[in-house]
Amino acid sequence: MKTLLLKLEPVVWLLFGMGIMLGTILLPGWLLVMGLGAPLGLVPESAVAFDRMHALAANPLGRLVLLGLIALPLWKGAHHLRSLSVDGGGHARDGLVGGVLYALALAGSVLGILAVARL
Amino acid sequence: MARSWNPHAMQPHGPARTRTAPPQVPDRFWSAPRMRRYLLFDATGLVYLLIGFVILRAVWALGDGGEAWARVLRDYRNPLYLLFHAVTLLSVIYVGVRFFGLFPKAQPPRIGPVKPPPRPVLHALLYAAWGVVTLGLLLVLGGVIA
Repeated sequence: MKTLLLKLEPVVWLLFGMGIMLGTILLPGWLLVMGLGAPLGLVPESAVAFDRMHALAANPLGRLVLLGLIALPLWKGAHHLRSLSVDGGGHARDGLVGGVLYALALAGSVLGILAVARL
Repeated sequence: MARSWNPHAMQPHGPARTRTAPPQVPDRFWSAPRMRRYLLFDATGLVYLLIGFVILRAVWALGDGGEAWARVLRDYRNPLYLLFHAVTLLSVIYVGVRFFGLFPKAQPPRIGPVKPPPRPVLHALLYAAWGVVTLGLLLVLGGVIA
């Protein structure tokens, strides 16, 4: 597993780098409106109504942004959690931990592609 | 007391001219404030991993229809979701401030014939992009721009 992870390192680093940069740039807007503003009644209900949100999400730019919001944080999260595990002295289990975390990120990314494709 | 660390870290490609001690990490390395900030930066990974799946569920619900979407909106009013989203927002701001501070320092002096802009300019550009994208999403998702 460690050998495979070493071979995949350039791809993982690219996705991690995009996650930390673009994921961080994209997330506050989503969190402020969908995570906090709408549930607290600070955003009009009509703004987050199904028809409007579906129309926004289904256009090509909307799909791309949503895929970025799903997949990029997953890779940032997976790589940093692996790093945290190694920092905690988990070098011996790094292959297993890294494998599981990247598998989660990959599964989430594939499901993200499916989710935006079926809009 | 120190324990041995990653045996491959800082390992020279060939025999070195001078002997080097194997890398070791002090037992209480995490007690230094800068290491705690670094570990907190890593720990935000958990929040990022979770928010990716939380947004995946919302987008999946959009594909399922109005009822599923209404269920997501109703769940988002749950205090646990509100707390999670608030913690995520704080984590994202922490990651952004730290990473955008590090990014200009990590640039090579030139990329081919192109020199990157001076560090303060690059720093300001990152914040400008962050602000513009956040404002754009606020206006579009919030219904100000149709």
